[in-house]
Amino acid sequence: MHFPLRLALRHLMARKTRNGLTIVAISIAAFLLCFLIAIVQGLEASVQSASTTRLVTQSAVSLFVDLPTSYQHKIDAVEGVHLTTKFRWFGAYYQARKNFFAQFAVDQDRFLDMYTSDIEIVEGPGGVTGPEARIAVQKAFESDRRAAIIGTGLRDNERFGFQIGDQVPLIPMIYPRTDGSAWEFVIVGCYRPLKARIPDTTMYFRADYLNEAIVSGEAFGDHGAGVYYVNTEEGVPVEQIAEEIDELFVNGPQRTQTITEAAFASFFVSAIGNLPLFLGTIGGAVLFSIFFSVVNTMMITGRQRLQEAGILQALGFRPLVSTNLLVFEGLVISLIGGGGGILIAYLSEGVLAQLLGQSIQNYQITPDLVLMAIGTSSVLGIVAGLAAGLPFLRSNPTEALRSSG
Amino acid sequence: MTRQFITLDQVSKSYTRGGEKLQVLDQLDLTIPEGDFVALMGPSGSGKTTILNLVGGLDSCDSGTVSVAGAEVSAMSRRELPAWRSRHVGFVFQSYNLLPVLTAHENVMLPLQLTPLSAAERRKQADFALSVVDLSDRASHRPSQLSGGQEQRVAIARAIASDPDVIIADEPTGDLDRQSADDVLEILSRLNAELGKTILMVTHDLIAAKKARRILELDKGLLVEDPQQEA
Ligand SMILES: Nc1ncnc2c1ncn2[C@@H]1O[C@H](COP(=O)(O)OP(=O)(O)OP(=O)(O)O)[C@@H](O)[C@H]1O
Ligand SMILES: [Mg+2]
Repeated sequence: MHFPLRLALRHLMARKTRNGLTIVAISIAAFLLCFLIAIVQGLEASVQSASTTRLVTQSAVSLFVDLPTSYQHKIDAVEGVHLTTKFRWFGAYYQARKNFFAQFAVDQDRFLDMYTSDIEIVEGPGGVTGPEARIAVQKAFESDRRAAIIGTGLRDNERFGFQIGDQVPLIPMIYPRTDGSAWEFVIVGCYRPLKARIPDTTMYFRADYLNEAIVSGEAFGDHGAGVYYVNTEEGVPVEQIAEEIDELFVNGPQRTQTITEAAFASFFVSAIGNLPLFLGTIGGAVLFSIFFSVVNTMMITGRQRLQEAGILQALGFRPLVSTNLLVFEGLVISLIGGGGGILIAYLSEGVLAQLLGQSIQNYQITPDLVLMAIGTSSVLGIVAGLAAGLPFLRSNPTEALRSSG
Repeated sequence: MTRQFITLDQVSKSYTRGGEKLQVLDQLDLTIPEGDFVALMGPSGSGKTTILNLVGGLDSCDSGTVSVAGAEVSAMSRRELPAWRSRHVGFVFQSYNLLPVLTAHENVMLPLQLTPLSAAERRKQADFALSVVDLSDRASHRPSQLSGGQEQRVAIARAIASDPDVIIADEPTGDLDRQSADDVLEILSRLNAELGKTILMVTHDLIAAKKARRILELDKGLLVEDPQQEA
């Protein structure tokens, strides 16, 4: 083996504890970097995939105040409005609270037409797939009040495993039934998200099912629409449509605030927006301190290497050899550490994606992230190696040797 | 007449420490013929190590010229010196200065890495150097597994591995017991007598110094030939 390489490897092996700890620290840093950036990217992807031609009309008071169902035909009549649907948060879980997923009550006759570019129906009644599936699902959705469409995640995840035709009982948290029973749904279709914003673990069901149960006294709660999703026609400025919608209701009974879906999505992101900032600040601080502790550790190593540098110079090696050795060692340590961090990020990707699934879709360790983590680790290794090794270039071998005596 | 192999001509060297100038060598002259074995003695701080560093091209003088084996060392640049050192000078230090992470054999191989020899030739030469100091059987030991005397012998093997003209030894027996010191001195004498190496050795030990062909005494910047040796 080439000599400097062998010497470097011997040094690496000679300081197992110190290097091991440094590698662990860098692994944590690399993992944290991947994790934080993946979160931010996931959030950004959902904002970016949100439509700018779809509007969301919500209560001007609060997102959590329902709009009356009577608003819908008025919004429908506004010029430039193509289709509208109620969109109401249901908030129920399957068997146990940990099996929570999002459900929305929508208009069964409009929802699929409005969401053609957002979701793709991949399976319908009787196992039908392909283009016919959508037609079949539309039909089934309209013919059974309890009909529901689920994402592939709810079908394929063994925790749920809902299949077409299944009757699924969901335990309510917002709209309890008067007899204390669960809400029954019948799965009639399965979709695949086409947009990063849309999770594959959402269930869409009929708004009239919910409202009729409330009106007939089968369930507690208020009759309502939640918010309205409004698809607009091309060529009419969305701002103008939004303004006209809000003007309809300036005198109540509920004032509205209409914004684009993109703005709505970023509102949600900013609602949890403090989380990434918080994580980013802590993560940044942790990264920063790991960075400096690695550099510092390397500099301690470098100081202990001063004598060796002097010896090598006396033997006729250039001081640069000692510098290169440290840079190489720094690189090896940081790349092993970085690799470890990336490995952790990869291995934990599935679990984290599931844990974060409700608030952040698309948590994903992309090749770009891996490259960035490797790049950052390399830079760290080189910087640490240079910080430790550059003093050799200016050091006097006689002083280095004297210090040993 | 033997060729003057190491020459210091009007060499001055001073250090500045804490704003105070310390003149260590003041217009010093020194000549050592080829194949000589010189013991350099003198009180602590008199500048012995300084002289060795100048001869070995590890340090530069303020004025005067230092030449070794026909090359003017004092005129070489910092960039030229390492390569020159690797070919012409072998260092032996009081504290052995072996690299603890390398085996004895690998330590001896170190200076050979700078030669154009093939890997096989290097190994052979390192084997030979270790045999000269009678440590062939310790080739794969780490310095921590060797006694002080053995370490110093490995250091000598390293100093001669690339077959330099000059061996510079700074108190090579300073840390050794009498027996180990005698072994080391015996090896140095043989290197001088059998391989014709020119040796410049600093020592505080008169017994050690007497193994040399010549003793020089450095005192207050002046070199005096030790009369005892003549007798
Ligand atoms: N780099 C330096 N900076 C300042 N002063 C130095 C430096 N190197 C040596 N000196 C001083 O120069 C003087 C001569 O040092 P040198 O090491 O040559 O002495 P020495 O004869 O080898 O002593 P010893 O027998 O103790 O090894 C000493 O006073 C020493 O303190
Ligand atoms: Mg000295």
